[in-house]
Amino acid sequence: MDLVQLTRDLEDLRAEALGQVAVAPDSAALEELEIEVLGKKGRLTGVLRGIGALAAEDRPRVGAVANTVRQTIEAALRERGAALRNSELEARLRLERVDVTTPGRPVRRGSLHPSIEAMGDIARIFAQFGFVVHESPEVEDDRTNFQMLNIPPDHPARDLWDTLYVDVPGHLLRTHTSPGQIRVMQAMRPPIRALLPGRCFRYEAVDASHGFEFFQVEGLMVDEGTTLGDLKGLLDQFAHAMFGARKRTRFRPGYYPFTEPSVAFDVECLVCGGSGCPACGRSGWMTILGAGMVHPVVLQYGGLDPERYQGFAFGMGPERISMLKHGITDLRLFMENDLRFLEQFR
Amino acid sequence: MRVPLSWLREYVDVDLSPEALAERLTLLGMEVKSIERRGAEWQNVVVGELLSVDRHPRADRLSLTRVSVGGGEPLEVVCGATNIAAGQRVPVALPGAVLPGDRRIERTEKMGVVSNGMLCSGDELRLTGDADGILILPSDTPLGVPLGDLFGDVVLDVDVKPNRGDALSIVGLAREVAAVTEAVVRWPDAALTEAGPPTVDRLRVDIEDPSLCPRFVGRWVAGVRVGPSPDRVQMRLLAAGIRPISNVVDASNYVMMELGKPIHTFDAAAIHDGRIVVRLARPGERLTTLDHVERELHAETLLIADPAGPLAIAGVMGGAASEVSDATRDVVVESAIFDPISIRRTAFRYGLRSEASLRFEKGQEHRLARIGADRTAKLLADWAGGAVAPGALDTNPVDPEPGRVAFRPARVNLLLGTSLSAPEQRALLERVGMEIETAPPGDVAVQVSAGERPLTVVAAAAETLVAVVPTWRRDIAIEADIIEEVARVRGYELIPATLPSTPVPAFRSSPVELRDGVRGALVGAGLAEVVTHALVSPRHLERASWARPITAADGETAAAGTPISVTNPLSADHAILRQSLVADLLDVVSTNARRGRTDVAIFEVGRGYGRVGEATQEWWRLGIALWGAFEIPAWNRPVRDADLDDAKGVIELLARYLGLGAPTYTGIADEPILHPGRAAEAVARDDQGGTGLTGRLGELHPGLAEAWEIRGGSVVVAELSIRGLTTGALPIPRAVAPSRYPDVERDVAVVVDEARPSGDLAAVIRTRGGPLLQDVRLFDVYRGAPLADGARSLAFRLRFAAEDRTLAEAEIEAAMADVMNALQEAGGRIRG
Ligand SMILES: [Zn+2]
Repeated sequence: MDLVQLTRDLEDLRAEALGQVAVAPDSAALEELEIEVLGKKGRLTGVLRGIGALAAEDRPRVGAVANTVRQTIEAALRERGAALRNSELEARLRLERVDVTTPGRPVRRGSLHPSIEAMGDIARIFAQFGFVVHESPEVEDDRTNFQMLNIPPDHPARDLWDTLYVDVPGHLLRTHTSPGQIRVMQAMRPPIRALLPGRCFRYEAVDASHGFEFFQVEGLMVDEGTTLGDLKGLLDQFAHAMFGARKRTRFRPGYYPFTEPSVAFDVECLVCGGSGCPACGRSGWMTILGAGMVHPVVLQYGGLDPERYQGFAFGMGPERISMLKHGITDLRLFMENDLRFLEQFR
Repeated sequence: MRVPLSWLREYVDVDLSPEALAERLTLLGMEVKSIERRGAEWQNVVVGELLSVDRHPRADRLSLTRVSVGGGEPLEVVCGATNIAAGQRVPVALPGAVLPGDRRIERTEKMGVVSNGMLCSGDELRLTGDADGILILPSDTPLGVPLGDLFGDVVLDVDVKPNRGDALSIVGLAREVAAVTEAVVRWPDAALTEAGPPTVDRLRVDIEDPSLCPRFVGRWVAGVRVGPSPDRVQMRLLAAGIRPISNVVDASNYVMMELGKPIHTFDAAAIHDGRIVVRLARPGERLTTLDHVERELHAETLLIADPAGPLAIAGVMGGAASEVSDATRDVVVESAIFDPISIRRTAFRYGLRSEASLRFEKGQEHRLARIGADRTAKLLADWAGGAVAPGALDTNPVDPEPGRVAFRPARVNLLLGTSLSAPEQRALLERVGMEIETAPPGDVAVQVSAGERPLTVVAAAAETLVAVVPTWRRDIAIEADIIEEVARVRGYELIPATLPSTPVPAFRSSPVELRDGVRGALVGAGLAEVVTHALVSPRHLERASWARPITAADGETAAAGTPISVTNPLSADHAILRQSLVADLLDVVSTNARRGRTDVAIFEVGRGYGRVGEATQEWWRLGIALWGAFEIPAWNRPVRDADLDDAKGVIELLARYLGLGAPTYTGIADEPILHPGRAAEAVARDDQGGTGLTGRLGELHPGLAEAWEIRGGSVVVAELSIRGLTTGALPIPRAVAPSRYPDVERDVAVVVDEARPSGDLAAVIRTRGGPLLQDVRLFDVYRGAPLADGARSLAFRLRFAAEDRTLAEAEIEAAMADVMNALQEAGGRIRG
């Protein structure tokens, strides 16, 4: 073995290996080729085995050539390897493609009932003004539901509440949340700021705007020096929070036996904006609640001195609020529990 | 109340447009519900004059008329009525006209003659009640003018509140208008020409109990000719919503609408000896009322009677025998004041509430008794040609003094939040007919409250005014009533809007906080909230009541007592208060299934109701129902129907949310509404052993599902009592730092009899697992070879950990050995 022959063998190996690298079909073949050529028992090692037969002064020169050959092949392997991995990755990505336009795997979420949610909305707004939720019985005694609210037996105002009576002596299904006023006043001293949401009952035929079961939210504020002006200001705040800051409101006389003066409170029609339409009876206004200054008799039954304490009460139907807000036109939907209706409320 | 503006204008000048007037009345508390334009529907109806009336050439029953409608050629119009004659002025509907009821008039051929329109009756125009003949208009009615311009009217529908009986009349509303416009109210004319023998010689009235009839005014009108009222009167009554009957009946209705005073008229011939007795009914008495119903009279019924027996139910309905008829010659007019409560009770008792009883119920101004009698007599003279007998019979001819209500101007401002001077307040009150006097010297008693709890306070005269209240304002008795009048007349829109500046009450947690939290958690778990009726049918109760009530969680009200029934239910479907939520939820499942839903997952937080002795109880419960696909059906997932484990999963979620330990389930086979093999009691406790959640769950018994017509798949229901559902706040969880040392998991499989509840074995592991055991979880259940029939293998994964060290293999092995021994002692075989 001489220097020239060995050098030529190395050059041949380089040429052959580079050719093989260039045509290696995939990463695995390339890896095999690398072992075959550059591995411990590979062809390069085989060629260099002849180095021992060379003269001592020639050995470094062959070593230098061998290094160059190794580096050249390694570079070719790296380059080819990168290219192959790249195309292999691309092939895999092509293979993994899915139809992204299909809908996902649905996650179930339920819905909150609009009556209860409306009561929650109302409570959240009044909570900002210090009103706290209280609750009272739905099977109420006649006195608390009527007499203590200044509605004696045989009073013509009883026509305003067609009543369902029960077989427990002296009891009825509360026709409004107003008896809660009495219970709150009897249970605590002023300052009182109470909100009373709950279920009420009336002897009333069911139609698009009436039901025999419905909800109400009552509010009560009593202290020294609470005024009708405070009621007006508070209701304005409420209407703006619930229906929008720019909505006009109207404060006008109403009638309830348990308030004096009594108030009806309107907000500008949410359908026509006040110009008049069938939804508002062409008046441009929608009545959203009744209110007034607590009648002295009611304060007395609540155990408070009407000379010292005064305050206001208001009452509204959360379903009505919800209907106005969401554009619902039939009250019956609220208790029909058709899931297609309910699932619109999140 | 329907108020024709033309009628209103008779008593007060109104310069406002109908819309502006409606708004002013509404802002005064007399809410105008609608504005109706009468006559807007008479399109192309004009006044015509009959030039000639001839027989139709081919039909005896028809006439052929030539009608002038002012300009243009006369029109030929065929007519079937018999009351027409040449020279009369009549309403003519021209071709293209549209009459009430959307009736369209076209040029038509009638028996060979072309009719160019139609002559109209009062009824066809809904202008009078007469349907028999053509409406004959006064001869000076201008020719060719659209009828709407002449007889059109605007009718306001005013919602008069129950406390304002005085405003249930045209005059009463005229007073309200005057309060706004400061115009003068003109009273109707009741000046009479009297003739013949005096009333007192012909009529006598005895009142047995003056508290039930404080005043009775009678009038005798002789020689009336009963017939239709003048057209003008009929038009008015119709516009006000009252059907014209005859001149005599119309006169009493007219006065009721005009003055708010109900009047009754009798055929004088039906009153024996001219003697009237006002008394209560006697046992066994009967009366056939105007509606031809013979009624047995209740002893509390106040009657107008004569020596022979009852003539009328006072204030409510007349008797048929004394009704004014075509044959009536003399009429007795009754204008009385009755006890409002007596009238109200009687009207309810017989189901005879009318416009008259409604006004009596609200109380009447006493002096109207005389005014109403005179006004009716005058109308009878004018419309029916009667001779009014001199004088009225009046049992109590003294008009009561007006009431005096003291008020403190400072108090007015304190309640309203205004700063109106005393003269300003006085001026406002004077606009509703009050006179304001200065208080007499010394202390003045101010009426703060009246009725059952009268309260007067003493105020200094200098700080007090006295309002002399007009007698018609029966609603004004205390200082607060005066305050309302000040605010009302001035206008609520001028009340300054302020925000409360008084102290805010101390903090109080909301009773709905925990309920809201539970609702939110359930919504997150995919359940829809429903609200169902508390009133259910007795059938619900029979079919779907728990055999034993659900045990209450700590602090919650127990379901107790018998069901409460409504004594006047609207329908049998809603006659009883529920004690459980299950039946209502099944209704919702059934309804939605019928409407095509295949997945129903719902809950309700609601009350149950019971009666214990004379007391009532209400308790809060959570109800859950699952049916059909539990996950939303989708192309990328197989459909899986809800089963008992889904309900458990929801309950376990709640337990975690409420900071409770995992619920334990105990099988029950004795609950008839549930599948005996798929029902359980659930209990979840806190770490102090307190019961935070209790309840019952299971698959609905197939028989019951059939009763609710729920087919395909099983319904899973649960009803739970949760601590805090009534008044509670959400518990605050104690946070624990996770151990820095690794957990170790070990599995153990134990073979037991099929009937052996896995819960028992889990409990054995928990109690015997030692202090290092953190958690036990069933992760596999295996049946089949090589296990014997009727055996199953339960595989549990146990998690061990210590806070302060990495566990040594030896201590875990020791704990596992204890567990396995315990399982074997409990009858299990450890599986290799
Ligand atoms: Zn509108």
